[in-house]
Amino acid sequence: MRNIAFLALNVIADSFRKKIFYVVFLFGLAMLAPSPLLPSFELGLQLEFLRDVSLSLTSLFGAVLAVIVAVAQLPVEIEKKTIYNILSKPVSRLEYYVGKFLGVIATLAIILIVMGIEIILLIYFRLKTFSPIVFEGIFLVFLESCVIAGFCYFLTTFASIPVSVLAAIFFYVLCHVKTGYLYEKLVEDASGALRIIAWSVYYLIPNLENYNVSQQVGYGHGVPFGYVARVFSYALLFTALFIFLGYNVFRRKDL
Amino acid sequence: MDNVILLENIRKTFRSPMLRIKRTAISDLSLGVRENSIFGLLGPNGAGKTTTLKVILGLVSPDSGTGNVLGKPLGSKSTRARIGFLPEQPYFYGFMTAEKAMMFYGHLAGLDTETIRNRSEKLLSLVGLPIGSHLTLEKYSKGMLQRFGIAQALLNDPDLVIMDEPSSGLDPVGQKEIREIIISLKERGKTVFLSSHQLSEVESVCDSVSIINSGRAVAQGQLDDLLEVKGVSLVTFTGESERAQKVFSPLARKVHTENGKTHVEVDADKVYEIITSGKELGLYLQTVGPFRKTLEDLFMEIVRGQEI
Repeated sequence: MRNIAFLALNVIADSFRKKIFYVVFLFGLAMLAPSPLLPSFELGLQLEFLRDVSLSLTSLFGAVLAVIVAVAQLPVEIEKKTIYNILSKPVSRLEYYVGKFLGVIATLAIILIVMGIEIILLIYFRLKTFSPIVFEGIFLVFLESCVIAGFCYFLTTFASIPVSVLAAIFFYVLCHVKTGYLYEKLVEDASGALRIIAWSVYYLIPNLENYNVSQQVGYGHGVPFGYVARVFSYALLFTALFIFLGYNVFRRKDL
Repeated sequence: MDNVILLENIRKTFRSPMLRIKRTAISDLSLGVRENSIFGLLGPNGAGKTTTLKVILGLVSPDSGTGNVLGKPLGSKSTRARIGFLPEQPYFYGFMTAEKAMMFYGHLAGLDTETIRNRSEKLLSLVGLPIGSHLTLEKYSKGMLQRFGIAQALLNDPDLVIMDEPSSGLDPVGQKEIREIIISLKERGKTVFLSSHQLSEVESVCDSVSIINSGRAVAQGQLDDLLEVKGVSLVTFTGESERAQKVFSPLARKVHTENGKTHVEVDADKVYEIITSGKELGLYLQTVGPFRKTLEDLFMEIVRGQEI
């Protein structure tokens, strides 16, 4: 556990030193900033609209940052050879792999907390109302980011950075459209063995629409605890699956 | 003395991911490194030196063959607590200062903060790096990074130190300092395994060597045994004579004069005749001993597959 903690802390420190990271992070904040300038509805509608749009933007930037932080780990460490100085110490590959990933997750958590605070402050200064409900949505955005980061991290155990980024974008889109168009095309229109395969593939892809609660939060309804617990388990399951698969590739990898 | 490193019939091939072409990096490699010795691994570029180091450290798994390091199988985590490693052209996290990096690597080596702090000061001073500097590693020169790499490799007071090109990027003063560190490690009972292109460095510090070419060990043993030419002696006289070449040549393998001395390489059974002839020429006998070739001669002879 000690090694995992040191490695995770190192990822956080390293991530916050990267320029590309700040460019995307500041771009995300800049996108949120003009939200108060959006159309002047009546007060209640403005609040709903502001919370909805801010959360949707945070979700998008959470996904982009998850990809950026996750792909910047293994391939960069191997290319720069910094991995040799770590794995030549009494550090197992499991500790290394999990430690780095926990660092990625912690980095994303810090960023999303900062973005959440900014949304609350924006709403407060614009509409003079305190809106902590935003953090219910931010938590689900964080869970979605964990799944995307887990997938990217798994990909980088065998694919290059450009391939991993492209595959991650495809994965993100696929996971958001699967319940609508994809379900009809893949499962309902298929027949026989193809239908079984399509059904299996369908359920192997996580449904990231589960984490889109910007409208509920926007309306101020909040997210029921039972639902949060369910999607938390769902995210945990998929993230753990990706980590398990990734580790099994990484532990056999010649460095 | 026991073998600290023992590799037996190690084979490693790498497969090109796209073309599925196999490339053999190490083929049937066996070697043993004695405790409390300095061992040199030599070979031309692409001979398999770095792959051998990676196999020893468990960074690469061999396709076949067996081995152990410090009495444990290859890749054992607990063994790595007793190993210090300096990679070739080491890279570190550029955002850290030397002290912070030492703290990070020390913690990963299982050391406590106080021990790391004490050892860091001593080691950074030993390799000639400033203590308490706010300079981050990304601003270090190549030579400074190499010095830092050596310091971090010694942080856990390892029993076995593995160094890939330890003098790379260092000026002559730095190279001499590193040689002194390597020798001092042996004096403290440590074992040093180094891979190097610098034959003079290896010759001056190593007890034994292994020369590998195309992934195979082509020569291996104690340096003295490898460099000594069996049955050939070197007779050295003080003084020069114009007739020396003519008189010695029928008896000797090679005669040359240098800095007022005459050196004669001769078969051991003809040493007495050479000494007698030297006296007749008015030369003064200085030394008689076994003839040693240089490591460079041996290396070139083996790598080119030619007899000198």
